[in-house]
Amino acid sequence: MTTCENIQPRLGDLVDGTLDALDRDGVEAHVRGCDRCAGLVRDFERLRQAARGLGPINPPPHVWLEIAGQLRQATAPRPAAATPNARVAATWQWAGLAAALVIVTTGAYVFLRLERSAPPKAPTAAADSATGSVQVFADELTEAMTHYEKAIAELEVITKTNNGSLDPALAAALQKNLLVIDDAIAESRTAFTRDPTSVPARDSLLEALQRKVSVLQETVALMNEIRKGDQAGAAQAAAGLQKKS
Amino acid sequence: MPSSNPKNRVVAQHGDMALAERCRAGAPGAFDELYRTHAPRLFGLACRLVGRPEADDLLQEIFLSAHRKLDQYRGDSALGTWLFRLATNLCVDHLRSRGTKWARLTDALVDDPVGLAPATGSVIGAVDRLDLERALTGLPDGCRTVFVLHDVEGFEHHEIGMLLGIADGTSKSQLHKARLRLREVLSTGRRAGS
Repeated sequence: MTTCENIQPRLGDLVDGTLDALDRDGVEAHVRGCDRCAGLVRDFERLRQAARGLGPINPPPHVWLEIAGQLRQATAPRPAAATPNARVAATWQWAGLAAALVIVTTGAYVFLRLERSAPPKAPTAAADSATGSVQVFADELTEAMTHYEKAIAELEVITKTNNGSLDPALAAALQKNLLVIDDAIAESRTAFTRDPTSVPARDSLLEALQRKVSVLQETVALMNEIRKGDQAGAAQAAAGLQKKS
Repeated sequence: MPSSNPKNRVVAQHGDMALAERCRAGAPGAFDELYRTHAPRLFGLACRLVGRPEADDLLQEIFLSAHRKLDQYRGDSALGTWLFRLATNLCVDHLRSRGTKWARLTDALVDDPVGLAPATGSVIGAVDRLDLERALTGLPDGCRTVFVLHDVEGFEHHEIGMLLGIADGTSKSQLHKARLRLREVLSTGRRAGS
């Protein structure tokens, strides 16, 4: 005798078309006379149809930026172990380092302020359409970028005029990694410019900026250790720099 | 896997081999092309299997793993199929790594019989895509995985069994359970009351 108890586990097969002819006839006969099982079949069919309509989902832009960055790093030559030169830098170079640190710290502050004031991950349409807040956010991003660019310029001057303080291989690797980060910043800035309401674009830009701040801070820390002549501290800072970059 | 026109598949595989070769050789833009072509489907899979918050990291892991393993791709299947299997394995590993929940859910079916459906007729109307996505997040890992692989991605039970290391019958039971739970969550009466 066919009862709902023994028919219902096979209703899925009926919907999926995987019952053999004999079984199908039996199950269909039961379903024709049973409202409960007929309802279940209709609902399973609707679910199945809806499920087939669930399509691909576009990942946020930062995922590719992260992958591309990691692939670039994986194919780039590894920096040699840090063998920092403990040569004491000239006084003006100390001043340069301090200035760079101030700029980087200010940049990091602006970044953190920005991050805190960033729109929620899934903003409402109303929030996104608020042109004013988008403009304010864009202005703050520009402000942060200005700080980072100043810091970069300052560090470049220090690196060029004090080229003996950093191990050449480490300096080259650092430069290469900064270029990778610059690429990521440029790509996410393009995405953000194209669509200033895109939260993923904003997030990826913020992430790239955060990474750059991090690398610059480690660079400053490394130079500071070298300036002090602390080889252990310099090696530790170099290891931190390798991790961050 | 859902089968497409075999003729088209052969053509696609020639293109796939060429793309895989270019990726292996580090040709500019090749891996980018691979990502652009396949990431949306794999991201959809990851979002539905492990949840949106963890899907970003998992998608990265999938493509970095694909980059490392591209040497193993011999063109026996479409590149999309190869990537999909890799992605499914990583998603399942990720679910397993969450703890014992996965094992408990796939082992407990014998002791957890599915009850009879309520004595009513059809209880859901047209199913909205977003409602279904939301309802999926509430399913236990095991039956959600089977539902996604079977009803969303079109795998057969024996393929799911091989992918997940479970018996075909377990896959069927999990699917039945998932459908019943989704039906309950999406029922018009329940939604109206929520």
